[in-house]
Amino acid sequence: MYLPDFEYYAPESVAEACQLLAQFGEKAKVLAGGTDMVVKMKNELLAPEVVVSVKNLEQLKKVEYVAGKGVSVGALCTHNDLVKSDVLKEKFASVANAARQMANNQVRNRGTIAGNIVSAVPSADLPPVLIALNATAKLVGAKGERTLAMEDVFAGPGKTVLANDEVLTEIFIPEQKMTGSNYIKFGLRKSGALAVVGVAVAVQVENGVIKDARVALGAVAATPVRAKKTEEFLKGKKVTDDVLAEAGVIASGECKPISDIRASAEYRTDLVRIFTKRALRKAVDEGHV
Amino acid sequence: MKENYSYVGHSVDRNDSYGKTTGHAQYVADLKFPGMLYGKLIRSTIAHGRIKSIDTSEAEKLDGVVAVITAKDVPSMKYGLSPARFDENIFCIDKVRYHGDKIGAVCAIDEETCYKALKLIKVEYEELEPVLTWQDAVKEGAPQIFDEYPGNVNTEIHHHFGDVDEALKDAYYVRTDKFQGQRAYHAFIENHCAAAYWEADKAFLYTTTQSVHYDQYHIARVLGMKMGNLTVRAVNVGAGFGGKLDTCGTEFAAIILAKLTGRPVKVWFDHYETFLNGHGRHPMTMTLTTGVDKKGKIVAHKFDCVLEGGAYTGLGIASSYYAGSLLGILYPIENYKFDCQRIVTTLPPCGAQRGHGQPQPRFAFESHIDLVGEAIGVDPIDMRLINARKGNSITTAGYEVKSYNLLAANRMARDASGWTEKRGKMGPGRGIGVGNGGFVTGAGFCQYRTDYPHSVGMVKVFDDGTRAYVYSNAIDIGQGSSTVLMQMAAEAMGYPYEQCQMVTGDTDLSTLDFGAYASRQTLMAGWAVTRAGAEVKKKILAKACEMLKASGRVKEGFGYLDGPLTTEDLECKDGIVYIKQEPAVKLTFEEVARKYFVDHGALVGRGWYHPGKLGGNHKGAAVGTSPAYSSATQVAEVKVDMETGEIECVDTWDVHDSGTIINPKLFHGQVHGAFYMGIGETIWEEVKFDPKTGALLNGNFAEYRLPTALDMPPVESLTLDESYEPNGPYGCKEVGEGATTPTMGAVANAIYDAIGISMTELPITYEKVWRALKEKKENGK
Repeated sequence: MYLPDFEYYAPESVAEACQLLAQFGEKAKVLAGGTDMVVKMKNELLAPEVVVSVKNLEQLKKVEYVAGKGVSVGALCTHNDLVKSDVLKEKFASVANAARQMANNQVRNRGTIAGNIVSAVPSADLPPVLIALNATAKLVGAKGERTLAMEDVFAGPGKTVLANDEVLTEIFIPEQKMTGSNYIKFGLRKSGALAVVGVAVAVQVENGVIKDARVALGAVAATPVRAKKTEEFLKGKKVTDDVLAEAGVIASGECKPISDIRASAEYRTDLVRIFTKRALRKAVDEGHV
Repeated sequence: MKENYSYVGHSVDRNDSYGKTTGHAQYVADLKFPGMLYGKLIRSTIAHGRIKSIDTSEAEKLDGVVAVITAKDVPSMKYGLSPARFDENIFCIDKVRYHGDKIGAVCAIDEETCYKALKLIKVEYEELEPVLTWQDAVKEGAPQIFDEYPGNVNTEIHHHFGDVDEALKDAYYVRTDKFQGQRAYHAFIENHCAAAYWEADKAFLYTTTQSVHYDQYHIARVLGMKMGNLTVRAVNVGAGFGGKLDTCGTEFAAIILAKLTGRPVKVWFDHYETFLNGHGRHPMTMTLTTGVDKKGKIVAHKFDCVLEGGAYTGLGIASSYYAGSLLGILYPIENYKFDCQRIVTTLPPCGAQRGHGQPQPRFAFESHIDLVGEAIGVDPIDMRLINARKGNSITTAGYEVKSYNLLAANRMARDASGWTEKRGKMGPGRGIGVGNGGFVTGAGFCQYRTDYPHSVGMVKVFDDGTRAYVYSNAIDIGQGSSTVLMQMAAEAMGYPYEQCQMVTGDTDLSTLDFGAYASRQTLMAGWAVTRAGAEVKKKILAKACEMLKASGRVKEGFGYLDGPLTTEDLECKDGIVYIKQEPAVKLTFEEVARKYFVDHGALVGRGWYHPGKLGGNHKGAAVGTSPAYSSATQVAEVKVDMETGEIECVDTWDVHDSGTIINPKLFHGQVHGAFYMGIGETIWEEVKFDPKTGALLNGNFAEYRLPTALDMPPVESLTLDESYEPNGPYGCKEVGEGATTPTMGAVANAIYDAIGISMTELPITYEKVWRALKEKKENGK
């Protein structure tokens, strides 16, 4: 239970960070909040030779509304920055609410959005709701930048598509035609629990008919996944309890959970059914919550 | 019977609140000594095997490593709780018996070097098949874990009273149910830690412990030392719940390494190791058969119980007896049969945890009796009212019970919770349940054979009377024992509580007490310090009498005295000595104490307590004897999500028959904490191991899920005015452990009321409830 030896850098700009990462390649790891990484290092699951701390990149710690376009979330915002953000509360309360369900208050004070995404833990709470809202991720590398759909960032448990020299700098949640969105996290206690299942939905409902829908599932596959058959099924349907229940059944067929120390695959699959139905009902009835 | 006391019955501030709220309080891990070294245990990486060789040479070469010790460097004397089952060595000599078993220790200049040195130790094993469940352990041809326990049977108990089989034949209704408990963990926040140093031939040990006396006794015996050559000290203790009553290896290693290196040594566990050390709740497999008459009165009860012990016995022998010995306290049962086995496996040892062997049997019985009642159409609380013991009675096993208000507790819990309007009437997904419990107030016998008093107390008043030192090695592990002991001593002395100071946790400087276990300290150490305080008061009154007479302020025939002033005419309260008939004629305690010091030297009072001969005559009768028994009723109300199985406990009521409450705030804190532990074990908590290797899987607080503040329901903690225990000082008896014993039954029964399915296996997880609901639906029941 001690940290291994490593070289430590704390760059003052994103460009400098990318340069360092390009220089050290696979030997380097980016340190943001450290709530996941430092624990892993102490438990000997991770031993980077170089640690690049991004704590000085103040410009990445803001939540801003860009008129007519959407909400920009700096990658180094903590979970509690999101919880407390007036912009998010007004525009996308579902994102602030998802952040609030993460871990416990201590971790929410320290853990960053970038860390939650780049750690690529299948049970992470933010990716599903960001995917449902069609958010994008801005990656900046030594040779330039690119913007990806949130769902395309993940490559497997603990794996992303980020190149060695890339850092995640910004999440952008676009203005929506979706009329409602919701994330339900199911953990095995009310705080300080990883999601056993996380279901996020976004719906566009007009005159009682679902025009568009996006459904994203967490903790039930190697990465957060879209439930595309469920989305297709919902499009053009009138909102009824039966339709929402049927959507849940379809979603439960789209996940591929594992059995582990927390829950069986069978239980997780049924939870997807239940929470897809419930999240849709909330998004339909209550908007972005 | 209850008097108007100055301190007893008042929620005075805890004596340790300043230090603990500011962070100034020191725990063993905070202690530093000049030149101190650090030590860490070398642990087995397999569950079962013979040690072929241990190569420590690479570790010894590492810069900063000062010493490495293994079995060859330490005494080979075995230890445990009872001599018949001394089965553990300081370090494994030939075999390892669990993944994490103690093989040796490294000692280095800092913590980090210790961890690095551990990686360089090479142990070669002849691997043996792990035995990870009791069912596997008792199979024909199962690997033998200890030579001394054939078939891996560690102990057997057969307590038979009356004629169960005959009585069952004649019963109106007979029912059998099976229940399964889980392995749980104390989850105290302060990890085990010990620091030791030597001065000539005397060793000084600071350790995280519930009993400095037992540590001193057991450690001195194993190390071949005179007890007087080993000082054991406790400082602030970050809780114990039964887990700091056994030695855990840090103490032996620290003392031996300090001797070897000639420097102070601190040996500490991190959370994972503290989990690994285990000694928590035994998983029990329980089969209960009850026969009742038409009204629901129990005519016979049969209890079969298997405890999965893990490696080694320790306190597990007492857990086994406690599993069966207390049922007859709650409910008088003439025909009672308790058959029990404790089986060893190659997992960390189980031991004592809040309520000792009783909580899981309580869960099983309280669940079972609801099913019996339902079958014959009797309401759960009525079942308990029909069967509850009354006070001033003798149990079938021969235990004398003085105060006992279980009937009143049930009635009060029923009325406070709105039971009659709620039970069975709240619809699917809502339920209310009841459970009864209670505990001993101190065990009737010492851990080892001795004729010592169980508690010795002393009060010494400072020279000028401005302070009173209360001596007792009762250990404050966070429950607030020092506060209540000073309240009782202050009351007995007639001296301000605020000017008292505790001298505790030091076998040199304080006075014998067996320590914090079996909910004993408030009664036993309470008697000792109360008697010591009374002796001080007697001396103060005598000296005051002498002073008043000499002062010329008191004359015979003054109007309020019939004859010469005697101590009978005087009272001392809150630091003032006065003439009862004329309170204006007074002296301060301080001036009297000062005069006493001038005339006689130290003003000291002494007291001691021994419960005397208690209990029945059957083998094992010692476990279950006590001078006083508490009883308790809890009612829990739950909501269950009928789709996901998620359980939310929304409200709870506890009525504890605890005699006089010495400190209401601390009392309610105990009830609250006891319920917290109980509901944690009911729904969330379970220690898990790899089913193939026996490696601990969830030795951390992320995956060993304690309930959080958000999961915890409000607890309405109620008391009974009529509760008064003649065997306890000021009429008090226990609360600390008894209040955790009804919880599992109460919550499980509420879940039954909510979902209509009896959940028989702990913990009752959301997934288990989900599965039970699903199966019920599929079977169309």
